[in-house]
Amino acid sequence: MGHPYIPNTREIRGQMLREMGVASVDELFADIPAKIRLRRELKLPGPMSELEVKRHVQAMLARNRPFTQMLSFLGGGVWLHHIPAHVRELVRRSEFLTSYTPYQPEVSQGMLQALFEYQGMICELTGMDVANASMYDWATSLGEAALMCARVTGRRKFIVPALINPERFSTLQNYVSGPGLELIKIGYDSRTGQLDLCQLRRELGGDVAGVYVENPSYLGFLETQVDEVAKAAHEVRSLFVVGVNPISLGLLKAPGDYGADIVIGEGQPLGNPVSFGGPLLGIFACRDDVKLVRQMPGRLIGMTTALDGRTRGYVMVLQTREQHIRRERATSSICSNEALCGVAAAIYLASLGPRGLRELGEACAANANYAMRKLRAIKGLKVPIFDAPHFNEFTLNCDDIGISAAKLNAELLKRDIQGGKPLRGEFPELGETSLMCVTELHTKEDIDRLTSALAEIAG
Amino acid sequence: MREGLYYSREHEWVKLEGKLARVGVTDYAQKKLGDIVYVELPEVGKRVSQVKEKKTKEMELGAVESIKAVSMVYAPMSGSVREVNSALQDRPELVNTSPYDEGWICLLEPSDPKAELRNLMNASEYAEFLKGLK
Amino acid sequence: MGKPGRAGYTLPPKLHEQLKIPKKLLREELELPELSEVEVVRHYTHLSQMNYGVDSGFYPLGSCTMKYNPKVCEELASLEEAACIHPYQAEDTVQGALELMYKLEHCLAEVAGVDRVCLHPSAGAHGEFVAMLLTRAYHKFKGDGGRTQVIVPDSAHGTNPASAAMAGYEVVTVPSDARGRVDLKALEAAASERTAALMLTNPNTLGLFEDEILKIAEVIHGVGGLLFYDGANLNGILGKARPGDMGFDIVHFNIHKTFSTPHGGGGPGAGPVGVKSELEKFLPVPVVGYDEKRKRYYLDYNRPHSIGKVKAFYGSFGVLVKAYAYILLMGAEGLAEVAEAAVLNANYIMRKLSGTRGYELKFDAGGPCKHEVVFSAEPLRRETGVSAKDVAKRLLDYGMHAPTYYFPPIVSEALMIEPTESEPKEELDCFVEALKNIAEEARSNPERLRVAPTATAIGRLDEVKASREPILSWKMYHKHRA
Repeated sequence: MGHPYIPNTREIRGQMLREMGVASVDELFADIPAKIRLRRELKLPGPMSELEVKRHVQAMLARNRPFTQMLSFLGGGVWLHHIPAHVRELVRRSEFLTSYTPYQPEVSQGMLQALFEYQGMICELTGMDVANASMYDWATSLGEAALMCARVTGRRKFIVPALINPERFSTLQNYVSGPGLELIKIGYDSRTGQLDLCQLRRELGGDVAGVYVENPSYLGFLETQVDEVAKAAHEVRSLFVVGVNPISLGLLKAPGDYGADIVIGEGQPLGNPVSFGGPLLGIFACRDDVKLVRQMPGRLIGMTTALDGRTRGYVMVLQTREQHIRRERATSSICSNEALCGVAAAIYLASLGPRGLRELGEACAANANYAMRKLRAIKGLKVPIFDAPHFNEFTLNCDDIGISAAKLNAELLKRDIQGGKPLRGEFPELGETSLMCVTELHTKEDIDRLTSALAEIAG
Repeated sequence: MREGLYYSREHEWVKLEGKLARVGVTDYAQKKLGDIVYVELPEVGKRVSQVKEKKTKEMELGAVESIKAVSMVYAPMSGSVREVNSALQDRPELVNTSPYDEGWICLLEPSDPKAELRNLMNASEYAEFLKGLK
Repeated sequence: MGKPGRAGYTLPPKLHEQLKIPKKLLREELELPELSEVEVVRHYTHLSQMNYGVDSGFYPLGSCTMKYNPKVCEELASLEEAACIHPYQAEDTVQGALELMYKLEHCLAEVAGVDRVCLHPSAGAHGEFVAMLLTRAYHKFKGDGGRTQVIVPDSAHGTNPASAAMAGYEVVTVPSDARGRVDLKALEAAASERTAALMLTNPNTLGLFEDEILKIAEVIHGVGGLLFYDGANLNGILGKARPGDMGFDIVHFNIHKTFSTPHGGGGPGAGPVGVKSELEKFLPVPVVGYDEKRKRYYLDYNRPHSIGKVKAFYGSFGVLVKAYAYILLMGAEGLAEVAEAAVLNANYIMRKLSGTRGYELKFDAGGPCKHEVVFSAEPLRRETGVSAKDVAKRLLDYGMHAPTYYFPPIVSEALMIEPTESEPKEELDCFVEALKNIAEEARSNPERLRVAPTATAIGRLDEVKASREPILSWKMYHKHRA
């Protein structure tokens, strides 16, 4: 019987071989030296019928506890938000799902226009003029941004905040290791978490390619001095890079409005599932400056007309920056990206609109505020540890209760609650602190439940 | 090609104008590239060395791009860049329509024109060279 | 588009909390469309109808392996137990995910003949970049700091030299010989104590098996370099040969090619990297481990020589689930059949099209190709002035997607055809017939080809104008018009 995914059955293949005058299919592999020819079957599970695969994989996945079936306060790089049903339906349409990179624009206008719309909406959110059609994720976008700053300015230093997300920092280190750029960390005020502007100004010289801040920061607080950071960076003709969670931008000021030259971030919360941390969606946008745009990595979709000069259409543009043309002189090696995740983000943004996005931001901030209020009232907890405005993530310290953040989480888990991410391993100076995240998914009852549980554990 | 100009094997032309040398790419080069969409101009003051068989970064003046290809523009003579043709920023197609006139790329102050001319071809030599390429 | 006040999304009522955010940090306005759900759905449905995917028809893009994407894989990746788990959840609550990753790593290691696989990279180029970082870590560990070069064949995919350059290496290109394979003499001349690695795909981008691979391995290992396998063309040798057995030290996989996850219009894909044991210690963290005693899976961060992180979290899990399901569906015998059917389909096209006036095989050594074949339309161009691009555009009018053209760069007017095992014989016959008709048309009515396609949603686009005056958003469009 033929395989469902291989239409040419053994019989048909035999017929083809006869037509070709070839004795057996083995002849077509005769050019593989005998020494390396595999003479045994690969040791792999399967083959299984569709029904058996479903049962098998479902049973395996059943050993996961989805956060939809428990109360979770995790964030820290991927966030839990409601994805409207129609977003998932549209993105699964096979014309989108099974298509390739739109190299043939005549048969790819769907994908091209959807990505053009994505680019435009990201520009509106971030206050930038040009956005690319996606990178892998926030961390790699940061790596690419640092490389871009170095290329544009010809300088070798890149400044980041000490409280930068450590996974992003490690990725950044790998990306800058190629050209050997130097990374400098700027400290923070221990009370407010805010960037140490004095230290920043001391480090800023004619050899700094770019200054990077995360806003909201990894630990959830807002950087209130971003205007000053932008000014300081621009005074020495360095570029200003801002990393964002785009959900916050329905409520918060766009980085473009406070001096950002490049904006990067994580697009996953815009209509994409958490999915154990991937696939993600790297946002990458910059100002409309020819020096910047030509050094931008990633695919860019542009508007044009058909050769009749009238019918509007979309094509990939400025491909000469990319690997398939420039090869070792390309702005980046990126080829396959996260296009479909970008389309999901576009559909999500188009569905929410400006009002929906602002209300979503307000809901997240309001819920987080409520949580911080209730939790800080518990004796022994410090919530948040930084005296600054926050968006929807915040720190929770339990040093004074006398148990570790990890133990706190273990206790919470007994009560069916997934606590925040313990930060001891990443920032030992912060003691037993966890990173909590609250979104529109949390109800008042959920937060009250967390509060009682923590009060119980603390007491 | 044009008489009175000198040519490199990389299809750049050079026109001596007193103490300076005007540089551009040849008709053959622009034809091969097709519609030019962008010209990467050098920075004024940049020092370059005359292009040789083994190419280095110091020999690069800039680049000319079509939608599907990038062609490096090499320095036909050593020297420093005095002026660039900023008209090409808005109208890169001038390189296609007028490669020897309006499509000039930059003006060099050559450091040793007399000696280096020997490494370049004149119009008829370049014509022969092109024949050999086909 | 849309009208003020329309909304495609409703939220539950929010808590009344006074936000402590200073006004100067809040945004004032946001220009996004205001649409009802109905309009959003119609808009994107309409867009999808102007798009061609594997489910629409033949998609013979060379080196892209546009094979059929089994729908059960989509279903499994959408399960709550796959989509609704957070990477920082307590390990006991994600044992299923860890087990799947662990088992997938082992399956891939077996397929490639390597010792350990890292699932982190998000795409092929990302995997190549990681391989270059691993290469550098390896040589640094051995105190061998003088290895500054990476060798790449002139037929290589652009991501190879780009990834090597990103990692700080100088790229040295070696030519292909008259048989279309890596020129061994040139390779010997290029290999030295400065060689960090050779990047090679096998079968190569011409669809030809590098039969001198054992010699090649000897040359590179002989100077102390590493051999990196670009897994883009793995579909041509699945179950027949393994890169690890050929001498490759680092192998990368294109999950969205060989393992049948959908391309999504450019992504998401995944580009796992496999290594031989000497390189295991450098792999990115965390690695998935299995505790025999406690019978549980865990994330191992205790890797002192690791290069660290190459992206956030552990990889594109949503994509990897599909690949794992695909391997289970096919099993060892299914994957071997995949290679046989894919290679047969490509050779069938090669035989049927050979000898057709207008198309020639530049490297016709009389031997078989593997899963893809590269024809040159140079004779057609010389005869009629029509290019490979014109041929490809005309194919769109036949309801098929064009093959890759103008790649690899060493073949002029190249048409790179990879049918994959998903194509029925009738489709291949149609394709060959179409190419023959187009060649005829080039002779009798070349203008028809130059204006093609005419039967698609839109005809040829002005790509020159698009790049000369880039309009990259509606904001830029309005600025441009003003």
